[in-house]
Amino acid sequence: MGTRKFIFKKIIEITIIFFVILTLLFFLFRLSPGSPISKMVDPGLTLEDQVLLIEQLGLDRPAFEQYIIYLKNFFTGNLGSSFHYGEAVSSIIMAKLPWTILLFSLSTILAAYAGIVLGKISAWNKGSALDNFLSISALICHTLFIPWFALLLLWVLGFKLGWFPLGGVLSPEIWITGSSIPLKILDVLHHMFLPLMTLFFIHLGSYLLLMRSSMLGVFKEDYIITARAKGLSEKVIRNKHAAKNAALPVLTSVGLSLAFSINGGALTEQVFTWPGIGRELIFAVSNNDYPLAQACFLLIAAVVLVANLIVDLLYAYMDPRITY
Amino acid sequence: MSQNQHIERFQKGWKIFIKNPLGKTGVTLLLIFMLMAIASFFIPLIDPMYDPMTGIDPLIKTSTGPSMQHFLGTDNVGRDLFAQLMEGAKIAFIVGLSSAFISIVMGTVIGMISGYAGGMTDIILMRMADIIMIMPSLVILLILASLFGQFNIWIIVFIIAIMRWPAVSRIIRSQTLSLKSRPFIEASRVAGASNIRIIFRHIMPNVLPLAFLYMTFRVTSAILVEAALSFLGFGDPSQVSWGMMLQWVWKSGYMFQAPYWMIPPGLCISLLTLSFYMLGRAMDEVLDPRLRKEEEER
Amino acid sequence: MALLNVENLTVGYKTKTGLLKAVNDISFSIEQGRSLGFVGESGCGKTTIGMTLMGLLPENASILQGDIYFNGSNLAGLNDKQWRDFRGREISMIFQAAMNAMNPVIRVDEQIIEAIETHNPEMSKTDINEKVKTLFNMVDIPKDRLKDYPHQYSGGMKQRAIIAMALACNPRLIIADEPTTALDVIVQDQILKEIKKIQKELNTSVVFISHDIAVVADVCEDICVMYGGQIVEKGKREEVFKCPLHPYTKTLLASYLSLDSDANIKVPEIQKAPDLITFNGKCCFAGSCNCCTAKCKSHSPGWVNMSETHQAFCFEDTLKKDNNGR
Repeated sequence: MGTRKFIFKKIIEITIIFFVILTLLFFLFRLSPGSPISKMVDPGLTLEDQVLLIEQLGLDRPAFEQYIIYLKNFFTGNLGSSFHYGEAVSSIIMAKLPWTILLFSLSTILAAYAGIVLGKISAWNKGSALDNFLSISALICHTLFIPWFALLLLWVLGFKLGWFPLGGVLSPEIWITGSSIPLKILDVLHHMFLPLMTLFFIHLGSYLLLMRSSMLGVFKEDYIITARAKGLSEKVIRNKHAAKNAALPVLTSVGLSLAFSINGGALTEQVFTWPGIGRELIFAVSNNDYPLAQACFLLIAAVVLVANLIVDLLYAYMDPRITY
Repeated sequence: MSQNQHIERFQKGWKIFIKNPLGKTGVTLLLIFMLMAIASFFIPLIDPMYDPMTGIDPLIKTSTGPSMQHFLGTDNVGRDLFAQLMEGAKIAFIVGLSSAFISIVMGTVIGMISGYAGGMTDIILMRMADIIMIMPSLVILLILASLFGQFNIWIIVFIIAIMRWPAVSRIIRSQTLSLKSRPFIEASRVAGASNIRIIFRHIMPNVLPLAFLYMTFRVTSAILVEAALSFLGFGDPSQVSWGMMLQWVWKSGYMFQAPYWMIPPGLCISLLTLSFYMLGRAMDEVLDPRLRKEEEER
Repeated sequence: MALLNVENLTVGYKTKTGLLKAVNDISFSIEQGRSLGFVGESGCGKTTIGMTLMGLLPENASILQGDIYFNGSNLAGLNDKQWRDFRGREISMIFQAAMNAMNPVIRVDEQIIEAIETHNPEMSKTDINEKVKTLFNMVDIPKDRLKDYPHQYSGGMKQRAIIAMALACNPRLIIADEPTTALDVIVQDQILKEIKKIQKELNTSVVFISHDIAVVADVCEDICVMYGGQIVEKGKREEVFKCPLHPYTKTLLASYLSLDSDANIKVPEIQKAPDLITFNGKCCFAGSCNCCTAKCKSHSPGWVNMSETHQAFCFEDTLKKDNNGR
């Protein structure tokens, strides 16, 4: 099977899964107490707008027709409008998405990289003081309760020492006065530092532990002895022969731990008032803004599925033994 | 295997387990938390003022720091934080253990059915497990909360359990597959035992020990999800959990003024998770001789 | 002077139950261009010899006693860096291909190139590529398979690539540890021919380690039979196979012949492998020997010379008794 065929198959699979999720959500929506209209239509709108929206979403139709309209609306990007913002939810979440992707991908990549490097060193010096220090720290990072860790960072580095802003993503004075672009980037980085560190440390722990145990497993492989027999230096054996093989299971775990990461991401966004999808979902749920909550949820589900596809492809790219 | 051999094996395993530094630390921490949970039943009896939910110190109007009356201080309405912390330990154990138990029962049954039945049943059940496994449980709980409103603690426990069975069922399934071809299963099938009887009489006793090993990992994830949900303000408002305490300190605006209030609950959640994690790792070593050997070589 | 001279080598493993002498007081030597075979059942210490010569003993093992002279210098005294420089250049090893000896995520040619690069840092890229092509040619792997990954090779091809890898830096001694185990008979035959051909062409010495007497008999000019961490008999191929001395050698040959033909030879049963930790001051084969005497159980045997090259580690009385018994 060629790569293209494999991707095609995966995409079909994802579409089916997504369809199942959409359907399940619709069932739950109909099952939940309260009328569908009160959930989807903001009572604050004018009567005409309300009627129009009910018509658009098919809320006055029988359940099955409503389901078809719901699917159609979904694929045309019409997910209703938010009670709180009074705008189409699709435009709201699209504005939030880049912030989440920025924070999330940056922290995951940094943590995976650092975790792989440190896990490698830790395994290589197994039993040494350095190894003990690294694995115990990793264990602690791995088990820290995320919002609490975030609050601690915020309290010490933000409030007590005043090094970092207490929340948000931009300083208005810099953005309104039209400062230069590097200054703006610096401002965003300044705001991003604490949430980034929170997610970084949480993920670093699990990647380090995984890489360490994976490396220890690889050391027992015969090709490591072969590499030694060739007279290669320990550094080459460690970085080229051992690490490449050991990193493969770590990559798989990036995919598998995505759910955990997203939970953590939402909590971190909430503590640092980072304007991302996770915080928007929490905001929507606490304000009974169902259209917004639904859109956030579906977007997160889609992201999870796509990210898993990317991890699958990356794995196949890294491991030559896998042919589709 | 005779009873004696069982006991002998258990003793041997326990020795390895308790010699392991991870196992030792884990058990010690866990015992402390258990004592806290037990203490939670007695504290309100000393004085109704120490009831974690309703007890208010009449002399205190705002959050105060540690004192002789209140070891950890009080929250902003004068409730005792030490009592709340003990109560939180109880809730954490209730949430963790019951959710883990339900998910293990579900995972075991589904895993056995999937492995034993094979074919289409197997494919559908395992695909379902795959999908649930990659979905973030907190996000699912949030969307359900937005549809159904605030949940009570038992519904939260149950939803977490539903989100957590797939990992168990995968392991049980592969164990069932290997058992299925063993002679004693064949024999009872030839003897005319029904499928249900085979599953519950012959396969279940063999996979159950494995299932309970995985319980430790399930316990932590349930505690963490409940804590996160409570922290975000969607927990059961009638229960004092550690996540709830963090939510209160955060929402009341005391988080920068009252470290005595903010630090203990989060520390407890982290330490409890750590202790279960260490327990699980140590148990792995008891059951996996390959891992153990590696330790000996050191 | 011999290329390799091993004198009174003892290698021990620290285990939970005590010190295990996997190789116990053995001596042998090998001349440039000759091939020496070690044969014995698994656990007799033959692989430990190979690993000792490569300086690749596991952490819990160490040389307790003895010297290894390679081309005049003592290997037992090398430090890590000297070993690294030495390995692959002077002595190299042919591993068993079935044992995952090649890194699955690195291309085959790269795994050979890195060996050449390490030991010849001054060589240019094109020279190295030329060298790799020659090597592949020598072991009969088509050039278009150079850039493949190991999993794309068949078992026989993998083994050839491993041979090419061992030859990369023109070593003077090659240690082949069970190089044909787990290959089917036809491929096995091809590989053995390959090794013989290369040995002749390059005039390298080969230490051949195998549990299979037929394979050793095919390749090696000199033979050492091992049992319980000791060499129990050594000699030229013809000597050992035509007139085996030691009771263990006879047992080994008999078990092989009984598989080979209908010849009605009684195969004495070897009861159990000796406990390498406890036995001391007696013959290690005493427990399974069919002509064991009281002396065998109380004294350590010595070398009995049959000819200048052919010796057995036994008692003369026992050998006589054994010969009369048959």
